[in-house]
Amino acid sequence: MIPVVRSEFLKIRTTAVPWVLAGIAVLLNGLLILVIFLSQNYGGPGDDVPHTTQQLRNLLGSGFQGYLLALMLGVLLITIEFRHKTATTSFLVTPRRAVFVGGKLITAAVLGALLGVLMLVVALVGGGLTLWARGGSFSGLVHQIPAVAPGFILVFALFALLGVGIGSILTNQVAAIIVSLGWFIILEGILVSLVHSAYKWVPTGAADAASNLTRGGGGGGLHLTLFDWWQGGLLMLLYGLGFAFVGSLLLARRDIT
Amino acid sequence: MPSAIEVRGLGKQFGALRAVDDLSFEVAEGRVTGFLGPNGSGKTTTLRMLLGLVSISQGTATFGGRRYAELDHPVRHVGAALEATSFHPTRRAEDHLKTVALAGGIPLARVGETLDLVGLTEVARRRVGKFSLGMRQRLQLATALLGDPEILILDEPANGLDPQGIQWLRTFIRNQAALGHAVLVSSHLLSEMEETVDDVVIISQGRLVLQTTLADMAAKAGTGTGMRIRTPEIHRLAEVLNAIPVGWRQTGPDTMVIDGASPEWFGPFAAQHQIVLYELVNERGSLEDVFLRLTHGFDDANPLQAGSGQSAPFRTPGAAS
Repeated sequence: MIPVVRSEFLKIRTTAVPWVLAGIAVLLNGLLILVIFLSQNYGGPGDDVPHTTQQLRNLLGSGFQGYLLALMLGVLLITIEFRHKTATTSFLVTPRRAVFVGGKLITAAVLGALLGVLMLVVALVGGGLTLWARGGSFSGLVHQIPAVAPGFILVFALFALLGVGIGSILTNQVAAIIVSLGWFIILEGILVSLVHSAYKWVPTGAADAASNLTRGGGGGGLHLTLFDWWQGGLLMLLYGLGFAFVGSLLLARRDIT
Repeated sequence: MPSAIEVRGLGKQFGALRAVDDLSFEVAEGRVTGFLGPNGSGKTTTLRMLLGLVSISQGTATFGGRRYAELDHPVRHVGAALEATSFHPTRRAEDHLKTVALAGGIPLARVGETLDLVGLTEVARRRVGKFSLGMRQRLQLATALLGDPEILILDEPANGLDPQGIQWLRTFIRNQAALGHAVLVSSHLLSEMEETVDDVVIISQGRLVLQTTLADMAAKAGTGTGMRIRTPEIHRLAEVLNAIPVGWRQTGPDTMVIDGASPEWFGPFAAQHQIVLYELVNERGSLEDVFLRLTHGFDDANPLQAGSGQSAPFRTPGAAS
């Protein structure tokens, strides 16, 4: 499996995918922090310096929604092989298709985690600049790393896994992107607004819970019930691996013509 | 001679379409086997079943008794260059080969060696998206050769190659066979492969038509050999030919073809009858004619091309031979 994963890393590194996604991640999180910087009454009227624990954690975790980029990373990691017909070569080298999917899962988890780290670094730099400009405490922000980072990075890795799972079933790149973004941006929200108790079961709710790894608490002011962090993480993992399992079975029967 | 590849009763059903039907053949070590058939006759499907890319409906396709997926590090035993395989456009040639080497357990030093072997060293760092069709074909071959396999499977490798490229490919394939490797190479044009292959496996509409040696096929084609004659005295020549048991047919106002005749026989014969000759050409019946006759012109892509008079009826050679 290690040779397959090394090959996967070289494969994705030699496409535009990781660089474009990293670029988008930096840009979006940078913009978000700029908005925070420009908002005059951050932390309430007349208070423009983030200083409470929750405010600092929110600042550090400002790129959390970037997990959708991790999801895209996972989707692209596998569907790109079908879009560019490189799957033929991959299957000649790795005829066992479950091994092929396994290699993608491991690669996605590592790259997803790295994307999470990148988001945190951007938040740390951008947030640090914000605090510096406002005379806030940078060390206060740094002190929130142990509370925020582990859950944050975990969620990014889990979303990348889920992306591979979805992509292994929907190998058509456009279909996979539309279905996954359609679910997370539109359908899931509609479902939760209709059935509040469904939130903790859907991937976003599970990821929300998993992000509490070292932070404790949860809900993020949504007033929705969540699982414990490990239950949420496990559920999210099951979604990813479950889809990947189904995808492997489908791929094993698939004729590559 | 041991068989490198064995196909037994192989079948593939695509919905209602029977793409390959009860196909059996063998590919020997140290020989080049031409896998021939018209477009749409099931060649690519057969090769893809052999390589585990397409599932098998019936029968077996094995390498030394083992299915492709059962081989340890298959790319070190079987090298395949298939049609319609692609490369990621932004990936450099060298990196493409490295991805295969890493996953296939092949030393990275082989990357430079194979690029050298197919003559792509100078463009090793170029992105494959900028490659011409001929360069892609060479990169396909490099991919197939990377693991230094003892069995090579090439699907229409001559497509997109210029005449020099085809000449290079022929030499390359012969060299592989000379190393003792088994080569299975598909083509819809026998003429393309005539100088390269030792054995032929001919299929049509998914079924085996013939497995034999090229020499045997050439002997079959030989029955169509004859002399093409141009003479101002065609009617007198016809008269003297009718007097002896030899087949002939007129092909133009002053030309005819005499079956099975050789210049050594016909020259003195014409002199003896004092017939003036403008032209005397030794005409070999082409293997392509035999091929077209065997595959019966079932060319799905080009139904009118074959069997429209090119495959002249074979006559028994006359007493002349």
